[in-house]
Amino acid sequence: MGMRQSTYDAIVVGSGISGGWAAKELTEAGLNTLVLEAGRSIDPAADYAEHEPAWSFRYRGLGDRRSLEQRQPVQRTCYACDEAAAKFFVDDVENPYSTADGKPFLWIRGRQVGGKSIMWARQSYRWSDPDFGANLRDGHGVDWPIRYRDLAPWYDHVERFAGISGEALGLDQLPDSQFLPPMAVNCAEQFVKDGVERRYGRERVITIGRTAILTVNHSGRAACHYCGPCHRGCITLSYFSSLNATLPAAAATGLMTLRPNSVVAEVVYDPETDRARGVRVIDAVTMEEMEFEGRVVFLCASALESTRILLNSKSTRFPDGLGNSSGELGHNLMDHTMQSGATGLVPGLDDRNAYGNRPNGLYVPRFRNVWDEHPDFMRGYGFQGSASRAGWSRGTAMPAFGAEFKEALRQPGPWQMRLNGFGECLPRHSNYVEIDPDRKDRWGVPVLRIHCEWGENERSMLQDMPVTAAEMLEAAGCTNITPFSNDTPPGLTIHEMGTARMGRDPQTSVLNGYNQCHDVPNLFVTDGASMASSACQNPSLTYMALTARACAYVVEQLQRREL
Amino acid sequence: MHRRDAIRTVSAGLALPTLGALAPDHLWAAARSIHDRIRCTQQDQGFLILTEHQNAVVTTLAELIIPETDTPGATAAQVNRFVDVMLAEWFDDDERAEFSRGLVELDARSANTFGTPFLELEEAQQVGLLRRLDDEVTALRQAEQPTQDHFFSRMKWLTLYGYYTSEVGATEELQQAIIPFRYEPCAPVRRGGSGQWE
Repeated sequence: MGMRQSTYDAIVVGSGISGGWAAKELTEAGLNTLVLEAGRSIDPAADYAEHEPAWSFRYRGLGDRRSLEQRQPVQRTCYACDEAAAKFFVDDVENPYSTADGKPFLWIRGRQVGGKSIMWARQSYRWSDPDFGANLRDGHGVDWPIRYRDLAPWYDHVERFAGISGEALGLDQLPDSQFLPPMAVNCAEQFVKDGVERRYGRERVITIGRTAILTVNHSGRAACHYCGPCHRGCITLSYFSSLNATLPAAAATGLMTLRPNSVVAEVVYDPETDRARGVRVIDAVTMEEMEFEGRVVFLCASALESTRILLNSKSTRFPDGLGNSSGELGHNLMDHTMQSGATGLVPGLDDRNAYGNRPNGLYVPRFRNVWDEHPDFMRGYGFQGSASRAGWSRGTAMPAFGAEFKEALRQPGPWQMRLNGFGECLPRHSNYVEIDPDRKDRWGVPVLRIHCEWGENERSMLQDMPVTAAEMLEAAGCTNITPFSNDTPPGLTIHEMGTARMGRDPQTSVLNGYNQCHDVPNLFVTDGASMASSACQNPSLTYMALTARACAYVVEQLQRREL
Repeated sequence: MHRRDAIRTVSAGLALPTLGALAPDHLWAAARSIHDRIRCTQQDQGFLILTEHQNAVVTTLAELIIPETDTPGATAAQVNRFVDVMLAEWFDDDERAEFSRGLVELDARSANTFGTPFLELEEAQQVGLLRRLDDEVTALRQAEQPTQDHFFSRMKWLTLYGYYTSEVGATEELQQAIIPFRYEPCAPVRRGGSGQWE
C-alpha cells in the first residue's frame, strides 16, 4: 500500500455524464474535489476526429477488423465503435467480464476522461410522474422514494446548462424540458407526422428528437454545424459531454483535481466511524496502489462499474459488498429493448432530399398504458426513427454496373421511414451481477459475472412494437411496410441501470431518495445504478438531474455538519 | 507514490477545453485548423498482396464497374489500392482465398468462352462476361441466398466502397461537404445526397 494522500472534501469516481455533473456542482459549491477516472486523458484537439473524411482512414471507416475481433469483440457490436471512435471504447481483453450460460449481455464501456459522454447518442427526455409511480402502481420493484416534482427543478437546472433542443408538447407522460429551438423535421417525416396526426390525434404523437445538441450558440459553445458523426467528438463543443461542458466548468473553479489512469479498486470503509474513509486506487500505468481520503464519496463510474466497486469493497461489517445490508446490491439490472418496429416507403417528394447531417431523429412518446390498459403487458415503449433517402451504398444490392449504373447512383433512393421501439424493462431480482471469483481485469480487480435476460413483459412488448409501428406508417400512407423484430441481447441499448437501487426501505434498497447509501451516509451513487425502474426514455438526462440534486443535498448537509 | 508524482500525473491529464475563453468564433477557427491538417494516406507504395497480374485485373474490373464519365472513375480513385489493403489486412483467410480463386476463374471463363485471358478481351467481351457474373449474383439475391461470397458481389462491394469513400469519389462525384453548416429539411435533390454519411 502506497502512502496516503491528503484529504479532499469530495471524491468523485468517474468523469462521464454523472461524474462531470458531480464535479461541476461540488466544486462550484466550494468543495475541494478529486475526480478519479480509470482511463486516459483526452485532448480534444488531437483525439476528436469528426471532420476527418473516410479516405483519411486506412479502412475507410470500416474499422480495423482484426483488431476489433481480437481486442474489442463486445464493443464492436455498438454502432459507434467505428474506425475513428474505437479508441473511445474499452479493450475487452483488458476489461473482461463473464455472463451466465445462455444469457448474453453486451456491456459497452468507455474508459477515458469524458467516459461514454463522448460517444453517447445525446437523446434527452424527462421522466414523468407515471414513470416514478409505476413500481408502486403495479407492484414490480420497490417504490421510488421521489416523484417527478422532486426532480423537476433539477431537470430545469441541468437543461439550462447542457442545452437541450426540442419541441414542447405539454404531455403528462413526457414532460417538456427547458428547450433550445428544435431541429427541423424533414419533408418526408412531416408527411408521416401529418398522417399519424390525422389518424391518432394526441394519442400517438411524432415530434423531433430532444437532444443535447445546441441549435444556437449557448454558454460559450457553438451551434451545431451538422457534420454528422458526433460520436467521434465535437471540436465546437456543440453537443453536451462532460469533456465539452461540465469538466471545464469544474476546472474553472480551481477546486477540481482530475486524476486520469486511476482505477478505483474499492471504497475503503472505516469501522470506527461507520463511514467511507476514501478509495483505494491502482494507477493504471504504474500499477502502484494508493489511497485517497474524502469526506464524501460519489460513485459515478457507470451503473455496473459503480456496482462492481461496491461489491469488491468487502469488510467484516459488509462481507457481501459495501452498503449491501439489503442484499439488493447488484440485483434488478435493467436495460431497454430495441430493434423492434417497422420500415416503410414514403410516396412522392422525388425531387426533394434533406441536406446536411442532422444528428438526431424523431420521437414517438409512449402511448401504451397511457390512455388505457393493454391486455398483454405493463408499462410501455417509445419509438425513435427518421426518414432518409439512401445514397450510393444501395448500389451494392442493385444489379448492373458501368456508366449508367454510376449515373443512377447520383440520384438518391426512395424515401424510407423507420420506427424503432425502445421498451421499458421491469426490475427483477433474478437479473443481477456478482463478482466472478475466478477472473480479474488487467489491474487485478475482480470482474463481474452478469446474469440478465428479457422477461415475458419485455417480449410481449417486442411483439406489439412492429404492429403499432406498421399501423402508424399505414395511417400515413406509406408503402412496402415491413415490420421487424430483432432479439438483441440486453446491454446493447447501453441503458443498463438499477443495480444499487433507490428506495424508501433500507431492507429492500441500497440508496435513499438523495442517492445516499442507507448504510453508509457519506457514500452516494448517482449514475444508472441508482434507478428503481427503467421507464422507456433514454436515461442520461435523469442521471444528470439526480446527480445535481444529490450534490445540493450534500452541500446542505455539510453546511449543517450532518455529514 | 509521492504526492508530487501524483500531481504531475494529474497535470498531464488536464487537456480540457476552457469555456469562456473561447467564443464560438474561436471554436470555429479551431475547427478549421483541424480540418486543414487532415491527413491523406494515399501514397505511391508497393502492393501488399496483389500480384502484378491480379492488380491489372482488379483495376480493369473496378473501372468497368465505375468508369470515368464526366467525373473520374475507379482507376483515378485508386480502388485497386483499397482492394489490396482490404485483401491483405481486412478479409479473413477464407475470404482472401475465395477472392483469389475468383480472379483465376475469371481468366478460366474468359479462356473457355473466348480463348484468351480476361485482360486481352475487347471491352465489349469483358462487359459481357461481367454481365453473366452480375446475373448470377442477381439470381442468388432473388433466391434469397447469401451473395457476399460470390466473387463479383465482393468485387462490386469493394469497388463501390473504395470509390465513393475516396477523395475523388467523395469530392468530385458526390460533391460532399464535410461541414454542411446547416440542415435543410426539404432541399432540391442534389448530387451527394444528404451529405457525408452513408
